[in-house]
Amino acid sequence: MISLLEAQHVSRVFHSGLLNKGHTLAVDGVSLIINEEKPSITAIAGESGSGKTTLARLLLGVIQPTSGSILYRGQNLAAMDRPTRKEFRRQVQAIFQDPYEAYNPVYKVDQVLTTPVYKFGLVHSREEAHERIEQSLRMAGLRPEETLGRYPHQLSGGRRQRIMVARALLLNPRIILADEPVSMVDASLRATILESLVKLKREFGISFIYITHDLTTAYQVSQNIYVLYRGSVAEVGGVEKVIKQPKHPYTRLLVSSIPLPDPDKHWGGESEIESKASAPGAPQAELIGCKFSNRCPYVMAECQQTAPPLYLTDDNRAVACYLHKSGAQISGKEMAELLANL
Amino acid sequence: MAGDRSQEAKAPVLEVRNLRVSYTTAAGPLRAVNGVSFYLWPGERLGLVGESGSGKTTTALSLMRLMQDTTVVEGGEVLLDGVDLLKLSEEEMRQARFAKISLIPQGAMNSLNPMMKVGEQLRDTIRAHQPKGNSKATIDARIQQVLESVELRLNVMDSYPHELSGGMKQRVCIAMSILLNPKVIIADEPTSALDVVVQRQVMETLRRVQVALGAAVILVGHDMGLMAQFVDRIGVMYGGKLVEVGPVRGIFKDPLHPYTQLLIKSLPNLDMKDVFRGIPGLTPSLLTPPPGCMFHPRCPQVIQRCSVDIPKFVEIKPERWAACHLCEGGRQ
Ligand SMILES: Nc1ncnc2c1ncn2[C@@H]1O[C@H](COP(=O)(O)OP(=O)(O)O)[C@@H](O)[C@H]1O
Ligand SMILES: Nc1ncnc2c1ncn2[C@@H]1O[C@H](COP(=O)(O)OP(=O)(O)O)[C@@H](O)[C@H]1O
Ligand SMILES: [Mg+2]
Ligand SMILES: [Mg+2]
Repeated sequence: MISLLEAQHVSRVFHSGLLNKGHTLAVDGVSLIINEEKPSITAIAGESGSGKTTLARLLLGVIQPTSGSILYRGQNLAAMDRPTRKEFRRQVQAIFQDPYEAYNPVYKVDQVLTTPVYKFGLVHSREEAHERIEQSLRMAGLRPEETLGRYPHQLSGGRRQRIMVARALLLNPRIILADEPVSMVDASLRATILESLVKLKREFGISFIYITHDLTTAYQVSQNIYVLYRGSVAEVGGVEKVIKQPKHPYTRLLVSSIPLPDPDKHWGGESEIESKASAPGAPQAELIGCKFSNRCPYVMAECQQTAPPLYLTDDNRAVACYLHKSGAQISGKEMAELLANL
Repeated sequence: MAGDRSQEAKAPVLEVRNLRVSYTTAAGPLRAVNGVSFYLWPGERLGLVGESGSGKTTTALSLMRLMQDTTVVEGGEVLLDGVDLLKLSEEEMRQARFAKISLIPQGAMNSLNPMMKVGEQLRDTIRAHQPKGNSKATIDARIQQVLESVELRLNVMDSYPHELSGGMKQRVCIAMSILLNPKVIIADEPTSALDVVVQRQVMETLRRVQVALGAAVILVGHDMGLMAQFVDRIGVMYGGKLVEVGPVRGIFKDPLHPYTQLLIKSLPNLDMKDVFRGIPGLTPSLLTPPPGCMFHPRCPQVIQRCSVDIPKFVEIKPERWAACHLCEGGRQ
């Protein structure tokens, strides 16, 4: 296996501003590997605030880890020469949750598309550039004539997001980090965009890190999933295992809260978990041991003393929970390698 | 029960007839709601679904007569207990809001006044819409009752919105919507900003207060999963029109309109991988709508007539309404 993009036991602390003094451990010892030789879609899931976006920004080199490192083709992002960095910035693209930030409000939206095309020298003429831009707009479900020439504020959030998808496609990257790319678009378009991600993987070998709070689409498009809770991996493995037979009480709570599009499937079967786990957790700083212990109906003495390591419960799934300590203990890095090799 | 019209002598609490609303734009009138008709039974939960831009929010705002400067109501009736809200004076309408029909607007939790304590905002709502005969004590007693019913502690009255979590803010918005015992509550995407666990809790609260109040609910949104779990009937909007209305099970099991059929197929589920499909094509322009059926340019079952005649919205079979030439006069 050649690792294309890798997080090695990465943590990131934010020191928050004036109002509430203190710090947030946004990402807490996460390891993840994307295999260069096998295109894949890897989901990172969790509720808002669980550290998904922070992990994505770490992987993109937009922010630096407090500890641990990010590697691109084995090279540490923190110590990368210019040419490699340029290659990294072309090969690793992102689609962010709030597309508005990517735009400069005084420029037409065309700018976010033309700039990368020229910057990376992908075309030889204006016509070619235009053709390429129009083609990626259509792939993202937009009418070029209703999109080009507009200012960001003149387009809906959903359209701005689709332009970001088009923009990521323009550069022919190896991997796209998609941070909640469809959380602002409608069901039918959501399916269209996700379908196109799957197609891009299949036809062009582009890998994806699909960040989402929606386990249903994570199940549909990805092979492996990392479920984050307050910055830590709670459960990780193949989607068939993690989503269809979740083991961590937190994953079980998430899965049972999904409103399924079938009137005969009752919402929520895990009433025991739900009644207890519904209470919001205590502030992070007060917790030692398992971060879910204050919401967990199965909490035991040891849960409140030391954070649980990952236990391998199946050949391709590990759970950070003492309920599953009959499984072999496995480090985050070993687990990431195991999944990347599958 | 809810949504059952076999109950004798029960008239719809709300009936919307041929509602047409447009926005004045530089490029001409944009027909956001173009001939929408539906009814709502007392205590019923109706879902209004559709892609963004299909006219759901404009419909919701028009029922409340919350117009912008550029909004033009071109025609139609909004009958609440037989009274046409579109014909009321401004003052009469102001008294009907919250007391008879209330709205949890899209993005409501972010439109709470950040400078004002929650309790004050709730008091203001009562004072503004029910100015007479309310002492501070009766107002506060009512607020306390309502906060309890949405499972909030009374101390939220002394909190500013930013001190509350998303779920708590949305509960405040629900509380506000039921302060004056309305018969109809419109909730426009009430949980689209919330996490799935909190969403479920908030929707359960909404259901509980709605049942306790005996109010009917119109749930606006595009999450078909939420609709499946919450509503009795679904209305599907496309390009400013209702294309299909029917009981929730009928819509999911046996959708009549080709758009609804594709919409149902586009839903990801947890049963099987790789079976969901997007709907090819783009939503229609409302400035220059296509002739005939709004959906015909994207419709896989299109026939010649579809690009010429606008299909009528008719009852195809009991309780099942659709606007499609293929359905008219019996099942396709
Ligand atoms: N720039 C920042 N400064 C301070 N705190 C931050 C910053 N970015 C994220 N956080 C905090 O880190 C945690 C994780 O946030 P985030 O990565 O955005 O989660 P998610 O994307 O899963 O919603 C949250 O508690 C958030 O408030
Ligand atoms: N104030 C406005 N001025 C002009 N057009 C508007 C305005 N508000 C909404 N629209 C347009 O009206 C149509 C319906 O919008 P809306 O009712 O918000 O739909 P939905 O809630 O289904 O997303 C869209 O094409 C939208 O762009
Ligand atoms: Mg995020
Ligand atoms: Mg809307």
